[in-house]
Amino acid sequence: MDWTQETAGGRVVGRPMGRVDESTWELFSQHLIAAVRDARSASVPLVVDLAGLDYMSSRGLRALTMAKREAGDTVAITLAAPNDRMREILAISRYDKLFEIADSAGPD
Amino acid sequence: MLVRFWGTRGSLPVAQKADAIQGKIARALLAASGREFADEAEAAAFASQTLPFSTYGAYGGATSCVEIEGADDAFFVCDMGSGFREFGIDAFRRIAGGHARTYHIFLSHLHWDHIMGMPFFGPAFDPGATVVIHSGHADAEQALRRQQEEISFPVPFDWLQAKFQFVTHEMGVPAEIAGVTVTLIRQHHSHDSYGYHFARGGKSVIYSTDSEHKLENMDSEAAFEAFFRGADLVICDTMYSLGDSVSLKQDWGHSSNIVAVDLCRAAGARRLALFHHEPTYSDEDIERMFEETKRYEELLREDRAPLEVICAYDGLEVAI
Repeated sequence: MDWTQETAGGRVVGRPMGRVDESTWELFSQHLIAAVRDARSASVPLVVDLAGLDYMSSRGLRALTMAKREAGDTVAITLAAPNDRMREILAISRYDKLFEIADSAGPD
Repeated sequence: MLVRFWGTRGSLPVAQKADAIQGKIARALLAASGREFADEAEAAAFASQTLPFSTYGAYGGATSCVEIEGADDAFFVCDMGSGFREFGIDAFRRIAGGHARTYHIFLSHLHWDHIMGMPFFGPAFDPGATVVIHSGHADAEQALRRQQEEISFPVPFDWLQAKFQFVTHEMGVPAEIAGVTVTLIRQHHSHDSYGYHFARGGKSVIYSTDSEHKLENMDSEAAFEAFFRGADLVICDTMYSLGDSVSLKQDWGHSSNIVAVDLCRAAGARRLALFHHEPTYSDEDIERMFEETKRYEELLREDRAPLEVICAYDGLEVAI
């Protein structure tokens, strides 16, 4: 799992690449929490661009919950551009009820 | 070994109401439109081969009770939920056929839905029976006696005729019981719960219910992966969706279908039985959860050996 991040267009955009599973969830979680804190410092929302992510197991999903708890009411988190597999995982886990899901990571 | 599910519902016994049965009948009639059947057996064969289980059958509503056949001269039963009553009736049938009158009962914990069948357990009145209650809880006897105090039930515990023994087990210390190696693991649940590992002849069955795998403590899941390692069957608490278990229902002491899949995948288990079904779920809801769980396993399988996912229902038998 690789992670890149940029702050542009009034948002922090985090881009995980690869897969988040038993062996990579901790690194993913560390990046996510750091991204939430960066977004809070900049007073902007956080977009997690899932376009480069193959899939995420329950560990990755739970890392998203930890990030949401870190964000509280101060940072809005959007999950963007999930592939078909991730979209199914988000639906099966009901995480599509817990997070805003956007078709694109673009500013619109 | 043979695993027989006498009760699979979580928290509270439930019963089908008329409208649920009527819906099943209506859907079956629609599916059979225009067909003729020579007799009931032919109709039953059509139904079993054509209709979804939620229409042709029912997941049942008795609370936790799972029998494991394969011990030497003894019954093995996990939990005494409301399904325990029917197990007791069937035990009399088998005793009439020569089965020994020794019962080893393994309690996951002492909450009501896991012990409520005890006052209705017929063999408890058999003076020739021996009932050994195994638990990780030192207060198991207190819990069973308390639910038969006069304020709750008219028959006090001391009136029972069987010989009762209570055994409190240490975590992680294998015990040899009637030819089966039994090991316990402590689980996260109010007043604790315990998972059981049953092993014999190179086969193993895990009973892990009422176990919350909290997201703040994911590191601890390595212990469960080790406990589940290579199991032939893992019976797992899958009461909620992951989304519910980390939001509205966090700290309610239960787990989700997809965490169960992930634990079993990491452990190299062969088969997962979804268990402790949410009492508000209809048969269609449980079936949907079952289909989603199988799909989740497919989505993450990649080049690993498949994990077979089954959905426990009252009356299901699984050969190990």
